Amino acid sequence: MNQNCLIGLIVGATIYIGGTAWGAAENPAPDSPLGRTVQTCGTCHGTNGRSVSPTFPNLAAQTAPYIEAQLKAFKDQTRADPDAQAYMWGMAAQLSDPQISELADYFSKQPAPPPGKSAGPAMIARGRQVFEEGVPARQIPPCASCHGAHAEGMATFPRLAGQHAPYLLKQILVIQNALRNAPVMHGVAKELTKEQIQAVAAYLESI
Amino acid sequence: MAVPSFARQTGMACAACHTVFPELTPFGREFKLNGYVLDNIKQIKGITTENRETLSLNAVPPLSVMLQISYTHTGKALPDSAATGALAKDGDVLFPQQASFFYAGKIADNFGAFIQLTYDGVGDSFGFDNTDLRYARHFSFGGTDQSSQHSMILGVTVNNSPTVQDVWNTTAAWGFPFSGSSVAPGPIASAKLDAGAGGIGQNAAGLGVYAWIDSSIYAEFSIYGAAIRGGAHPLDSTQSSVIHGVSPYWRLAYEHRWDRNSLSVGTYGIVAKEHPGNGHALQGPVDRFTDTAADMQYQFIGEDHLFTILATYIHENQKFDASFLNGAAQNSSDTLKTEKLVGEYSYQRMIGGSLGLFNTTGSTDALLYPADPVALQVVGSLANKPDSRGYVAEVNFLPWLNTKLQLQYVRYSKFNGMSNNYDGAGRNASDNDTLYLLGWVNF
Repeated sequence: MNQNCLIGLIVGATIYIGGTAWGAAENPAPDSPLGRTVQTCGTCHGTNGRSVSPTFPNLAAQTAPYIEAQLKAFKDQTRADPDAQAYMWGMAAQLSDPQISELADYFSKQPAPPPGKSAGPAMIARGRQVFEEGVPARQIPPCASCHGAHAEGMATFPRLAGQHAPYLLKQILVIQNALRNAPVMHGVAKELTKEQIQAVAAYLESI
Repeated sequence: MAVPSFARQTGMACAACHTVFPELTPFGREFKLNGYVLDNIKQIKGITTENRETLSLNAVPPLSVMLQISYTHTGKALPDSAATGALAKDGDVLFPQQASFFYAGKIADNFGAFIQLTYDGVGDSFGFDNTDLRYARHFSFGGTDQSSQHSMILGVTVNNSPTVQDVWNTTAAWGFPFSGSSVAPGPIASAKLDAGAGGIGQNAAGLGVYAWIDSSIYAEFSIYGAAIRGGAHPLDSTQSSVIHGVSPYWRLAYEHRWDRNSLSVGTYGIVAKEHPGNGHALQGPVDRFTDTAADMQYQFIGEDHLFTILATYIHENQKFDASFLNGAAQNSSDTLKTEKLVGEYSYQRMIGGSLGLFNTTGSTDALLYPADPVALQVVGSLANKPDSRGYVAEVNFLPWLNTKLQLQYVRYSKFNGMSNNYDGAGRNASDNDTLYLLGWVNF
């Protein structure tokens, strides 16, 4: 073949191999150490970070610092809500710090879960109001001020957008009962009524 | 089967893998299909200089114990086994009914086992029980990225009872009722793939391969050969129901999960050729039992409420090339049909109840289902039919996830062909109604 064709072939091959290697960060080989760990997490959370049952939260597009903090909290058992004890204490017990970083990185790069819809428009609108304005009468600040205008999360403040509404509801209740070691959220959430929590959870699942 | 061995190995509480033990959640099914190897405890490792792993052993063995203590009361006391005309003691306490020891968990990377050794309080004997060893690997195929790729587990199972390797609770080994009296009378007949008198049970050894695709499609093919514990070895005419050659067993299932629900539908079956034995040499013509079965399982696992429906239908064709010749069957072929439907409810895995309907119907056969008012009291069939139907009702209380207190009532509207005087000696189906109290603890 002629020189141009050869250059084209080399460039094409480089792009293909480079593309595959770049893709590999998002798609670890199933038999690699990260791949095997992702398979295990994926049993409940989905290998793409999207879970079926709301017992298990979506991890896709979750902020990496938040995933790291939670895995460490499961490992040292400072997060002690019922499902943490039943599932995650065992799961996290043998994870090393580099593995935790790798998993946080992997799931944070997964495409965000699609919006769900588990409530009517009135409830979702009510939830949006709580999310964007807070509840000033009870000194509850807007959730958006820490979790982002679109609930996309910020550093250790987790992404809430697209999360299962029943999971969000349960976490607020668990935080209100101080079963999770989350002093900032406990201060914020302790005045929320169940009706407000349900509304904001429904809104967050829908975005 | 729920064993604290798995809790010790995984560090996860029972509720992760079980609704109420021994029934499995979707995650529990995944754990079993992955080879029982998910571990979160220290491993003792070995590798070669080429970095090939030679050992991955749990530093602490995943061992556990199970204890069942029970009380059985039948509607009418059973006849004394020796003193003519007398009745045996009304009500039987078994302490224990059963005590089991388990190694259940990882043996090496990708290779795990469920091994049960059981002391039986009725037989006063100790021996092997349900055992399943399996090797399983993950594969991905198809698709260009994570969202379109398919995941598959391929596995091999070596086990000692058809359906012990199954992960749904509709089949014999792990089906409802999950526990029952070992002294109350049971119907005269059951299919080869059912529990009860006619089932293959643990008289076989099996080797199978399976695939579990995208956590929804299950396909398995296994072969079973005769493996009878005790008695004459090599197996000879003094044994009974000895599988001839290998019996092919198959299992297909499709599971769909959404929100907190899972629904699976499936089919399974076996073609078992057997020498009847029982005094006849293990040569020449064989009986052939072809079981074709369908099953369905629905689970809802909520925050506080758990709900399960189990259903199975087994159709058995019986071709008696051997038993017809040696006088054990009146017909050269018969059929046996079995239907079961169960509904279960539990509140916070603490308090719950179940209701299971059962119905077995079959051909009239005077030699297969004989009657004798003297020699075959309780176990005979005046109508020469196996038809038995009724329900099992249970109430369960679990003060802790590993302890079950159960009240069970089995009611028969028909037993061995009839409702009244089914054995020709005056026993009615309702005389076999059973009240069963059970304390079941695992640790």
